[in-house]
Amino acid sequence: MISFDYISAADVESALRAASTPSSKFIAGGTTLIDLMKLDVERPTTVVDVTTLARRDASLAAVSELPGGGLRLGALAHMSDVAWDPRVRDRYPLVSQSLLLAASGQLRNMATMGGNILQRTRCSYFRDTATPCNKRDPGSGCSAIGGFNRTHAILGTSEHCIATHPSDLAVALAALDTTVQVRGTAPRSIPFADFHLLPGAHPEVETTLRPGELITSIDLPAVSFAKRSLYLKVRDRASYAFALAAAAVAVDLQGGAIRGARVALGGVGTKPWRSHEAEAVLVGKRATEATFRAAANAALAGARPHKDNAFKVELAKRTLVRALTEVSA
Amino acid sequence: MQPPNIGDIAPDFVLSTGRWLSDVRGAPVILAFHEPGWDPARADEIEGYRHLIQAGEEPQRVLVSNDEPAAALYGAARESAVFVLDGRGRIAWRHVAGIDPVESAAEIAALGLQTNGDGVRTAWSRRGFVATAIGAAVALTLEPTFGRAQTAAAQLPSGGTTTGAAVGDAVPVTLNVNGQTITLNLEPRVTLLDALREYAGLTGSKKGCDHGQCGACTVHIDRRRTLSCLTFAVMQQDKKITTIEGLAASAGATGDSLHPMQQAFIEHDGFQCGYCTSGQIMSATAMVGEPWGPGDDDVREAMSGNICRCGAYPGIVAAVQEVRRNGGGQGR
Repeated sequence: MISFDYISAADVESALRAASTPSSKFIAGGTTLIDLMKLDVERPTTVVDVTTLARRDASLAAVSELPGGGLRLGALAHMSDVAWDPRVRDRYPLVSQSLLLAASGQLRNMATMGGNILQRTRCSYFRDTATPCNKRDPGSGCSAIGGFNRTHAILGTSEHCIATHPSDLAVALAALDTTVQVRGTAPRSIPFADFHLLPGAHPEVETTLRPGELITSIDLPAVSFAKRSLYLKVRDRASYAFALAAAAVAVDLQGGAIRGARVALGGVGTKPWRSHEAEAVLVGKRATEATFRAAANAALAGARPHKDNAFKVELAKRTLVRALTEVSA
Repeated sequence: MQPPNIGDIAPDFVLSTGRWLSDVRGAPVILAFHEPGWDPARADEIEGYRHLIQAGEEPQRVLVSNDEPAAALYGAARESAVFVLDGRGRIAWRHVAGIDPVESAAEIAALGLQTNGDGVRTAWSRRGFVATAIGAAVALTLEPTFGRAQTAAAQLPSGGTTTGAAVGDAVPVTLNVNGQTITLNLEPRVTLLDALREYAGLTGSKKGCDHGQCGACTVHIDRRRTLSCLTFAVMQQDKKITTIEGLAASAGATGDSLHPMQQAFIEHDGFQCGYCTSGQIMSATAMVGEPWGPGDDDVREAMSGNICRCGAYPGIVAAVQEVRRNGGGQGR
């Protein structure tokens, strides 16, 4: 790890000023950043501690009500606090489940909402500075394409990068049409669908967050049927592993018919993967296995597997079918 | 005044606590006087302290004083000086700046110190090191303006109100560990785990993967289980940190009594090689206070961030379940 200048931010304004240099990074939970700094993948020369901001504004680390029935998740709220919050568990079960199925009890006590949706890929080539990686070292090439790519993405890939987005929470948030609130030169709201970027020719640019901008909250809108929702995660071991495939689903069921649906997939996309295609298949149909299978086929229609991860196509389909079956039961 | 000689009864004086030095007889004591501006928290000074320990009889306490009349009694007015007192209150060893030479190998041997060639780690116990660190913190408390002066307020170009230090500089980091305040001089890149193990001598928290994947480094910060390898020590000031060394006391145990979770791990064979055990126990004691369900599966899920290479999981689950059935065993 290289040496860096540590700055503890007293307020949002000074945090933004301190982070205005190109090689600066905000730190909150630190669970991704410090990990990657130890690997020399991240090499900031200034680290701006934003955890201290909550002393001045406790709402930055809290779950609070929004007008109209939504919930605001403060950017500094810990994964564990949000996961166990009774309002989140009651109104947005998939959010609570996505958090509790992620990481470990210790990491959930450290990692924050803002940091969670900014976490970097677990692609082993991205984490290994001895190998080419377009995301870490733009223009150097992609080692995963043609390399060992069992855990890599099958949706949203490009010829420059096939790295999977690792967040579980972000998949649940993608299903809910959440909004990311940001402070920078001016406050702005970013629809969640616009927050993460596909790798395209520039996998090193992962979000539409501008340099020096700071996430202040993630806003969950009121979704009448979000109570009937589920996050289902399939992985190599029973707990404490990243997803091979995951499904975040919510359905509005009326007498066996689906009036509304939300579907997002995890573990298979280069970004949290909302599937409007699957939703279009579901809405207006009876909640049957045949309907769910058709929705899954639609969700994975654009899948482009590589040498080692073709199994993910069928795995993701079955994961989605099972999630829809369970949530409709 | 000349300093007392080795073998003399240490001159008595009133400590800052109001007690007389003679009141604390019964255990060895390190008594340090510091000149104005001396910083006992500096790593190289602490390194020097490592030479002070008698084999087999560890000083229990470090008393640091800037009391000039008392220093004069010890021939150390406006000098830095260190005296090691045995349990009967006699001077067992001394080093007074300007009078005594830097200790030679022969003198160390005469004191019965055990050296291992690359330092004196074998002669410096964990307890002794912690005591020194506490003493350093006491000294900084006596002179609160010192040390902080090194934490320059870094004025940002547009006039921010943040503090920081130049790249690569060590800064004083004050930590509350197991109820004790310690001040260490650390670069910002030092993780809490390394601060505990390498600077504070608290080696109970283990370094397994150093990347947040194994749980061996688990400590409690403000009563929550966290991974000390994935946070910087400089970020954990003003927090209450509990390590395995302080766990039993945090639950009210005295003497050599164990925390109920520690006892349960022993009774249920919750370990084999022991390397992951302190992390398992710190994780388990915090997990008991989290809103998990009552089943064995809940324990397995809640404890999945602690990996055991020996596969002692059945014993670990049994130990945690026994403690949960018996009401938890508080203490973080």
